[in-house]
Amino acid sequence: MEKLKDALDFSDFSKAERIGLVIFSVFLFAFPWIGAGSFTTTVMIQFLLFSLFGMGWNTIGGYGGQVELGKAQYVGIGSYTVALMMVWWKVPFWVSMPIGILIAVGYSFIIGYPLFRLKGHYFAIATICTSLVLKDIFDNWNLVGAAKGIELPIHDHPDFLYMQFKSDTYYYYFIMALFYIALFYMNWFRKSKLGYQLRMIKDDEDAAESLGIDIRWCKIKAYSIASAFVAVGGGFMAVYNLYIDPASTMELSLSIKIALMAMLGGAASLWGPIIGAAFLVPLDRFLGSWLGGQKGLTGIDFMIYAALIMIVSAYQPRGIWGIIEQFRKRGH
Amino acid sequence: MSFLTVENIVKDFGGLVANNNVSFTIEEGEIVGLIGPNGAGKTTLFNCIVGYHRPDSGKVTFRGKDVTGFRPFETNRAGIGRTFQIMKVTTGMTVLENVMVGSFCRTNNRNTARGEALHVLGDLALDAVKDYYINELPIAIQRKVGLARALATKPALLMLDEVASGLNPTEIEEVVELLRRLNSAKKITLFLIEHIMEMVMKVSQRVIVLDYGEKIAEGLPADIVKDENVIKAYLGEKYAQGL
Repeated sequence: MEKLKDALDFSDFSKAERIGLVIFSVFLFAFPWIGAGSFTTTVMIQFLLFSLFGMGWNTIGGYGGQVELGKAQYVGIGSYTVALMMVWWKVPFWVSMPIGILIAVGYSFIIGYPLFRLKGHYFAIATICTSLVLKDIFDNWNLVGAAKGIELPIHDHPDFLYMQFKSDTYYYYFIMALFYIALFYMNWFRKSKLGYQLRMIKDDEDAAESLGIDIRWCKIKAYSIASAFVAVGGGFMAVYNLYIDPASTMELSLSIKIALMAMLGGAASLWGPIIGAAFLVPLDRFLGSWLGGQKGLTGIDFMIYAALIMIVSAYQPRGIWGIIEQFRKRGH
Repeated sequence: MSFLTVENIVKDFGGLVANNNVSFTIEEGEIVGLIGPNGAGKTTLFNCIVGYHRPDSGKVTFRGKDVTGFRPFETNRAGIGRTFQIMKVTTGMTVLENVMVGSFCRTNNRNTARGEALHVLGDLALDAVKDYYINELPIAIQRKVGLARALATKPALLMLDEVASGLNPTEIEEVVELLRRLNSAKKITLFLIEHIMEMVMKVSQRVIVLDYGEKIAEGLPADIVKDENVIKAYLGEKYAQGL
């Protein structure tokens, strides 16, 4: 009960932030009725999806301060579980998604245990490697469709059991619901014991350990929570796209985008991943279609992301939200 | 059975023997000082007891329980708190949040943790700075925050690594008062590394002296300052003459 109260309680934020949240929520609810085109709706769905990913990454990457660049493997686990169970045994989404979460969490414990022996850059590299290995396995594994991926069987519209719809509006509200669950969860998380302990670990590991914190266990727990979030998003991707392959669900660029959005918006803040996604998802769309498609400059977008990472980490490690807070402090 | 028993601790950093066969005991409720020249192995000894280093050989027993080779968080849960010589100046958490992390060691409830943290802060007269970040505070207050954080974990034995270095005489006086109060009112056993002799002599009931990793003397402060070995190794002739 108290946990639920904590999750719904935004009272420790400033008035401006709370008003902002209300306006933002009204906009989200009303969005499908303002008559935006299908392209804008797709971008909004991507935005909500990446906010969800970013909020998950924020547990280990933001609050825990661990540069984690392997989230795509959990997107893959989530989406492949949903897709394969639907193709092979006709298992409904509402059963396969929780199973996907369980597999992701189990897998994250198995690889998290050795992974968190490493620190700093070594940890970051290791997370990239585990993700790449899993992608390579799926690329060559015929049983799961290998590199050509798998198509989901189409169901009649609207199917709430298998979560398949003709109209994007349904998907929009579905991902919005997931987004709010994630937001409330994170609002609880940042005030939880684990949240405090992770922030201490980020600040000073030795001091954290002297205060009775089992550093490695805390990191593994946060890593699993992040993985669970991302697996939910992966499951959504499967039913939304109706087609998945290793390239779209486990690519390194996806891991980097997830981390980058949270870092750019502001790691270790509740709003950071949302702000980052609001900024980067449209930019990503624009760069992908304009530079990549029309100008034939494929790959330029990654150079821009790399530059963004460097600028953020050099000038304002707390991201866009850090800049906003700086201005607010000056105002006082 | 002693409160803390350290038996034959040896810690060898690849040829540099930082602790060589150090043994001593601490009884419940004591205030024990640990002194010695720079590089004598004081902090290493602390780290061996708390668990940042695993001693090459030897045994540490705390309240009848063998804690040799425990990780620092395990010794903390067993009841040993410690502060650091150098406190990392961090920007991520306020003073209150820092101390709350300490109290979370003994509770899962945020409101309980907050209440206890506020209590500890009040006890150390830190209420006024509770919403500041550590980097915004002067060093004397930073040290006190480190102390508050360790106290919030409710230790039975508190190990203080140079809690008074860099403080002015008035501040040292305050720390001495505070340590005495913690010892008498809260029944916390204190074990402290200190360079400032004035403070060691005032606050400790017993002093252990290390030099080149070995224990060269142990006894009452008044006897220690007259001990020839200690004078030669650490205090110097001038200090002894000044007595």
